[in-house]
Amino acid sequence: MNVIETKNLNKHFGELHVLRDVALTVAEGEVVVIIGPSGSGKSTLLRCLNFLEFPDEGSQILLDGEPIDPDRDNLDKVRERMGMVFQHFHLFPHKNVLNNITIAPENVKGVSRADAKAKARELLDRVGLSDKEKVWPSQLSGGQKQRVAIARALAMDPEIMLFDEVTSALDPELVAEVLQVVQDLAANGMTMVMVTHEMGFAREVADRVIMMDEGMIIEEAPPAEFFAAPAEERTKAFLSQVLHA
Amino acid sequence: MLSSLWVVIDMHFFAFLRATGVTLQLTAVSLALAVVIGLIFAFLKLSRNPIANLVANAYIGVVRGTPLIVLLMFLYFGISSIVVLSSFWAGSLALAIHAGAYVAEIFRGAIQSIDHGQHEAARSLGMSRRKTMRLIILPQSFRRAIPPLGNQFIIGLKDSSLVAFLGVSEIYSTAMTAAAANFRPFETYLVAGLYYLVLVLIFTVLVNRLEIKLAPDRRVAT
Repeated sequence: MNVIETKNLNKHFGELHVLRDVALTVAEGEVVVIIGPSGSGKSTLLRCLNFLEFPDEGSQILLDGEPIDPDRDNLDKVRERMGMVFQHFHLFPHKNVLNNITIAPENVKGVSRADAKAKARELLDRVGLSDKEKVWPSQLSGGQKQRVAIARALAMDPEIMLFDEVTSALDPELVAEVLQVVQDLAANGMTMVMVTHEMGFAREVADRVIMMDEGMIIEEAPPAEFFAAPAEERTKAFLSQVLHA
Repeated sequence: MLSSLWVVIDMHFFAFLRATGVTLQLTAVSLALAVVIGLIFAFLKLSRNPIANLVANAYIGVVRGTPLIVLLMFLYFGISSIVVLSSFWAGSLALAIHAGAYVAEIFRGAIQSIDHGQHEAARSLGMSRRKTMRLIILPQSFRRAIPPLGNQFIIGLKDSSLVAFLGVSEIYSTAMTAAAANFRPFETYLVAGLYYLVLVLIFTVLVNRLEIKLAPDRRVAT
């Protein structure tokens, strides 16, 4: 069963054709890592999945086999089912850590305050930040912020998690703590799509690695195969650049 | 001079006290209305509807392009030819319409200054446009609007002196009357100035406290 499937996914920004007939499938429990040079459309692809960007007319995105129609379906309901974590965290600065996590379940799903808090504490424990629930986002390190952001997305019980370069804005020494959380999620069977530059992580955690260039998926394979013997010249060139950097 | 100043303060103490009450009422009423007007026009200006934009731009453009005293007289004589309006309410309304344009721009600026990532994070969690505005964007915008809003409120407090020309017995008109009676205009206007100064200083302290109260995360060093 595919949690997400795209057909003929195209996206233009004005004249710029950033996604070209992308066909992506993500099966339940699968961890898909998307790599590629900057400007290749990785983030745009991710953002089209939950309609933060609207795909061009004629594109199709299916969630659990059901096509999403942005004209007819309530996209808020669609987004509830997909968690997203951003490069720059985007925690709500006027809410403390606990309330960052409870605000959506309480106000979107109508979960009671008590239940939302209990769930938030459980998630904070899972990301290793139980002692930070009363703290303001501005008092956290980047790695801590990102772990709260992951907990915030998980609080909505999403069917799939979308990670958009979640370690790219972090100091190098803080990357590991965030990847550890993502890895735990993967180990627990969470379906996820992750855009990243962390090749070591891709090799270790991904079920499938996708290479994008110029708005197209040019190659995809399980990580062992992908990194050992890339078929495409552009993949080879890209890998040699990032692995020897 | 100091003794004659004291004489003036003493002689008109109760008149100025009553006038201070009127000035505060004028300011409170007009600024409360200005916040409502400002919020409405900020949303009209941010709206995607071109007619709403046009209405907001016309209002803000006209108010900013005309002196308050003209608006005051225009409203007073214009409106009172249609409906009976006390000079207090005509004055309050004019002050509100005037300050509302500036408040609208303050709110619009504050709302637009919130990082777009805040919208995206909220929407990605399934919040509607409306909930995103109410729960995420507006609370942060109000916080950011407090310093310029405080500034605008101080201007509003001082602008209320122009309502003297409609015959409302606030601080400035009380000073005019007193000066005509006591033949000590220098001391009398000095006293009026001191009243305004004290009010503004008290107000400044209150705004600063509110700013701290609304920014709980800034209280702790990071």
